[in-house]
Amino acid sequence: MKKIRIVLINEIITLLSRPSFWLATLGIPLVAGLLFAAVGTLNMNSATSQAVSQIFSGPAEMRPEGYVDLSALVRSIPESIPAGTLLSFPDEKAARAALAQGQIAAFYIVPKDYLQTGKILYIRPDLNPLASGGDQSTLFRWALQVNLLGGEMLLSSLVNGPLAVQDVSLAPAGEAGPDQSNPLAFWTPYAVTLLFYFLIMGSASLLLSNISKEKENRVIEILLNSVTPTQLLTGKIMGLGLVGLGQAILWLGTGFVLMNLSGRVFTLPSEIHLPGSLVVWGVVFFILGYAVYASLMARLGALAPNLREASQVTFVIMLPLIIPLFFSSSVFMTDPNGLIATGLSLFPLSAPVAMMARLSAGGVPWWQPPLSALLLAGTAVIIVRAVAGMFRAQALLSGQGIKVRTYLLTLIGKA
Amino acid sequence: MSIVEITNISKSFGPVKAVDDVSFNIEQGELFGLLGPNGAGKTTAIRCMLDIFKPDTGSVAILGGAMNEAKKDHIGYMPEDRGLYQDITLERCLNYLGSLKGLSPAQVKQSSEIFLKRFDLTAHKTKKVKELSKGMQQKAQIIATLLHKPDLLIVDEPFSGLDPLNTQLVKDLLREQHQQGVTIILCSHQMNLVEELCERIVLIDHGRTVLYGSLDKIRRRFSGHAVSVQTRDTLPSLPRVERIETINGSFKLHLAPGSQPQEVLRLLVEQNINLDSFKISVPTLDEIFIRVVKNEGEGL
Repeated sequence: MKKIRIVLINEIITLLSRPSFWLATLGIPLVAGLLFAAVGTLNMNSATSQAVSQIFSGPAEMRPEGYVDLSALVRSIPESIPAGTLLSFPDEKAARAALAQGQIAAFYIVPKDYLQTGKILYIRPDLNPLASGGDQSTLFRWALQVNLLGGEMLLSSLVNGPLAVQDVSLAPAGEAGPDQSNPLAFWTPYAVTLLFYFLIMGSASLLLSNISKEKENRVIEILLNSVTPTQLLTGKIMGLGLVGLGQAILWLGTGFVLMNLSGRVFTLPSEIHLPGSLVVWGVVFFILGYAVYASLMARLGALAPNLREASQVTFVIMLPLIIPLFFSSSVFMTDPNGLIATGLSLFPLSAPVAMMARLSAGGVPWWQPPLSALLLAGTAVIIVRAVAGMFRAQALLSGQGIKVRTYLLTLIGKA
Repeated sequence: MSIVEITNISKSFGPVKAVDDVSFNIEQGELFGLLGPNGAGKTTAIRCMLDIFKPDTGSVAILGGAMNEAKKDHIGYMPEDRGLYQDITLERCLNYLGSLKGLSPAQVKQSSEIFLKRFDLTAHKTKKVKELSKGMQQKAQIIATLLHKPDLLIVDEPFSGLDPLNTQLVKDLLREQHQQGVTIILCSHQMNLVEELCERIVLIDHGRTVLYGSLDKIRRRFSGHAVSVQTRDTLPSLPRVERIETINGSFKLHLAPGSQPQEVLRLLVEQNINLDSFKISVPTLDEIFIRVVKNEGEGL
């Protein structure tokens, strides 16, 4: 245990003393912060920026918009629309004057022939090709729709969403299933999949470069005369894992701080309901997934003669983690308890990402996360032990070109 | 008492038999030479000895039994294919390697200061290893091997990359360790140094033991039937001498079967030859090495 601690501490100190590490650790949030500030400054008033800010900070204070109703269709503004949000003007001249004075952000003109053409003009001071309507376009659309239907709000609601399906699942009880009608909730599994993929890959890659470098420095044989391969590998996995986790926390924390510094409060939109257990399972699957992939990367680093060759094969090793990315926004949402989603989340090599994607979507039977974690833990133990044992063969294979077949054979102890 | 007992070990890598039925013993406090041409199987034999590789057959006993974790702290190993962490300071590198051998930070500091001073590296201890010259890195490597005062020292080509001054320094250090009772296994191609330092050797070629035993006995075994004579006179043809060879100003007289060196000496004196020296001709280890490796298997 003492030697594991010595290796662990050495790895942490070595990594923290590298300028390249700090460049990546601080550079990424710095660049993100600068981009964030630049975009915020340039597009402070643009609809895009406000839409983005709404995602992260909830609805911002809306500036009123106006309308000129030349077809006399809008007889009243529905009660559900806050007062003062939509202002009526008798003609375009009055609306333009209000726009020039900054009383309104933009205004709509409902032409006389609206019922024939269905066309509406939207007048605003700036040109934003990405924006399809104003801040209140949804509100004005709603007001127009209600008035077109004779002021019947309920009828208007039904026209908007005629199919209010109540989903009754006969699957075993679990957490609430995903709301497939919500686009934000729809993309949540994708975001979680991506986040976990990068967290695990980033941390595991540290081990690949570490072992490759030690091999290139020809230190491995000296180390193996002082520690066992298992002690060496365990110390490295733990040390680099802690640094990787710290780096991820720093990145996420910096993002959070930047949000707050820019005057925005980080709150997830109400449409996204992430289960409370997600954080706990997140830590579990990160640690186990990291242990598996860091070991595989260590093996790759031991087999390959240099980092360049090792990097060429990384894709093959990471493939099981990449596969769930293709299914994250489709299978995990549309059929989260189906064969593919369940299979991927129970298969140990894809479980760290796939199970997290399913958990973020919700509706996972309670017994599946622990089973998946158990299978993953078992795999982690086997792989860590197998890889540690193969550090002996590393010296033997030193200098040879890396072959995927050799890699796979050594993993099952056949080479 | 044997510190290392290698008994009939063999190790193959695929179709290549790197070590083939090799056996030798190393006694406590001995300075032992492990020799062989490139690719002979020396490194594989050492790796088997240190439990880095498991031999396919045969057994290894080291420091009185099978290798275990505690024993590693009593062994200093400097492999031929060696290196140090390049991106950290020499001081930190020694600290790390010393602590892995079970030394406390204070012990590492004390021990490394002594060796750094002796190898004239104190002024360089805060430099990154990659900033040191090849010779300095070589010396640093030797320090890392000795920091924990090992009982068994295995050094593979310790003189490579060193200038004559530092070669002498390492030679003195090995002699000093030997005098202090440390068992040393020296692998080297520099036969003159092995000859100078070692008492016994094993020569491996193509994975097999081709020579093993006391250096003195081996030399005598290969001395043949000749005497070496140094004189300013011209040597006449002599009875009982088959042929005369001139080597660097001295003469090597190959005796006829059944002749004795004393007889030749008497004949030389009788013929009034002024002798500067007269000795039994003994081949150098270099000569033996070349002869054995060239003629391996020819009745040795």
